[in-house]
Amino acid sequence: MSVVIKTTNLTKIYGEQKSVDHLNMTVKQGQIYGFLGRNGAGKTTTIRMLLGLIKPTHGEIEIFGENLFTNQKEILRRIGSMVEVPGFYENLTARENLMINAKIIGVHKKNAIDETLEIVGLHNETKKLVGKYSLGMKQRLGIARALLHYPELLILDEPTNGLDPIGIKEMRRLIKDLANERNITIVISSHILSEIEQLVDHMGIIHQGKLLEEVSFDQLRKRNRKYLEFQVSDDNKATMLLENQLEINDYEVHDEGHIRVYSHLGQQGQINRLFVQNDIDVSKIMMSEDRLEDYFTKLVGGGTIG
Amino acid sequence: MVNLLYTEVLKLKRSKMFMLSILGSAVAPLMVAAAMFVQMQTKGIMAQMDILLLNTSIYAVLVIAVPLYGVITAYLYNREYAEDTLKNLLTIPVPRISLLASKWLLLFGWIMLLTVVTWGMAILSGAIGQFAGFSLSLLLQSLGQYMVAGVLLFLLSTPIVFITLVLKNFVPTIIVTIMITLINVMLATNEHRGLYPWTAALGIANGTLESTYPLIVSYVIIAVTAIAGLIATVVYFKRVDIH
Ligand SMILES: Nc1ncnc2c1ncn2[C@@H]1O[C@H](COP(=O)(O)OP(=O)(O)OP(=O)(O)O)[C@@H](O)[C@H]1O
Ligand SMILES: [Mg+2]
Repeated sequence: MSVVIKTTNLTKIYGEQKSVDHLNMTVKQGQIYGFLGRNGAGKTTTIRMLLGLIKPTHGEIEIFGENLFTNQKEILRRIGSMVEVPGFYENLTARENLMINAKIIGVHKKNAIDETLEIVGLHNETKKLVGKYSLGMKQRLGIARALLHYPELLILDEPTNGLDPIGIKEMRRLIKDLANERNITIVISSHILSEIEQLVDHMGIIHQGKLLEEVSFDQLRKRNRKYLEFQVSDDNKATMLLENQLEINDYEVHDEGHIRVYSHLGQQGQINRLFVQNDIDVSKIMMSEDRLEDYFTKLVGGGTIG
Repeated sequence: MVNLLYTEVLKLKRSKMFMLSILGSAVAPLMVAAAMFVQMQTKGIMAQMDILLLNTSIYAVLVIAVPLYGVITAYLYNREYAEDTLKNLLTIPVPRISLLASKWLLLFGWIMLLTVVTWGMAILSGAIGQFAGFSLSLLLQSLGQYMVAGVLLFLLSTPIVFITLVLKNFVPTIIVTIMITLINVMLATNEHRGLYPWTAALGIANGTLESTYPLIVSYVIIAVTAIAGLIATVVYFKRVDIH
């Protein structure tokens, strides 16, 4: 899998403040990469640097294997982006706004504009001026604009900003579909773990300008999955019962007599009964916390996120 | 560049700015013509076409043009900040210099159009008021003078562009253009007016500068102002962070 984005010691200093601090980020082709951090962590600053909007104080950026600063034009052509809240010419319609991009980029496909409007579900709102659009509609139009030229890499900075819960769900669906159908690499920033955990497959966690960790979500989930833990007198017999009677295979034995069951959450009563009926002593039953949220909180400190 | 210019024009669709600017450019000829017409009726002084064209150009260039073109300039350059569309344009990507250039081209077309509207309105109101001294050679000569003034004022837009881009706001730009205009009015008949770029522009166009200084001095002052504004704008905009 080839590397799409690679930053080396990327740093942006405003006055005294290191908004982005020696950030080394790697995004590989085909990933949906979640860029997670609290408010003010440095997500937008990083993304603006990736797009050549602001200049790093120091550090390097390679995109598609090329140096951004020497090949900016060619690289940006292959990227679609939306940074913070998208801006439009409010005296124009959605189609006219997209037309501006299409003209400049040289999108020759005739129905490219209608096609992207349909993808984001705005094809029935073409008479309205964008000034009359709701925040959510603008957000979707921003996605349409980012997709217009079939980019290989999509960079979205908090695309769910200002959306209601249903809008957030739709946005997630939209991004997931895009990733599947067009097979593009996607970087998506957020300050809410739960909003992207069902969406991304890789994650970089940024805090106070530093990239604390970069992990695959599979690993992370495995490391932090919810489970039921039973402390039993005979773990051999207990696991045999789990497999044969309840067809539970997703478990691990820790230490001696500690069994962690990763499926059938909430059915601890039934499992307990099975053990007891088979003369196994159960001295403790425990349910793990939401480990992922825990993990994030532990990593970036503080109480609530965002 | 053609496509870029096309998008600049498209951005003006349904914008009130265009109609307002046309109205603004019609103010000077209508007022001058009306004043002369009243004088003709009350004092019996025959209104002359050449005086109408000359006085219109003085009011249009010294009083109206700087604030009017200033508003247009601020609108063209500031709206990408105001509507937060700059981050889209620059990541498409539009090279920063091309963006400046396409707006400059549009501004040039716009200013020349308004110049022609001002001239046309002067002719029209002179014709309606039956002013004396109509001749084709007068019309063509004055059109030439109006155009020269228009081009010089366009060149002098570069410092205004710079101020707009740096301060990212309409208001300071308007204040600066009003200050320029006040100085215009103060210097209108001053013997040193050839040293001030905006009064020099009118003097060069109409050939009305006094011989206090050689003409070349006025040309150099206008050129230096325009080029300094251009360089400052390009240097600033090429490296500025877009937030
Ligand atoms: N132009 C600027 N001048 C000074 N400081 C800035 C500037 N832009 C950003 N910062 C600072 O840099 C830090 C990172 O900001 P950034 O916008 O990148 O955060 P973020 O992770 O995108 O946050 P959010 O989730 O709120 O969008 C903040 O402390 C911010 O105040
Ligand atoms: Mg942000």
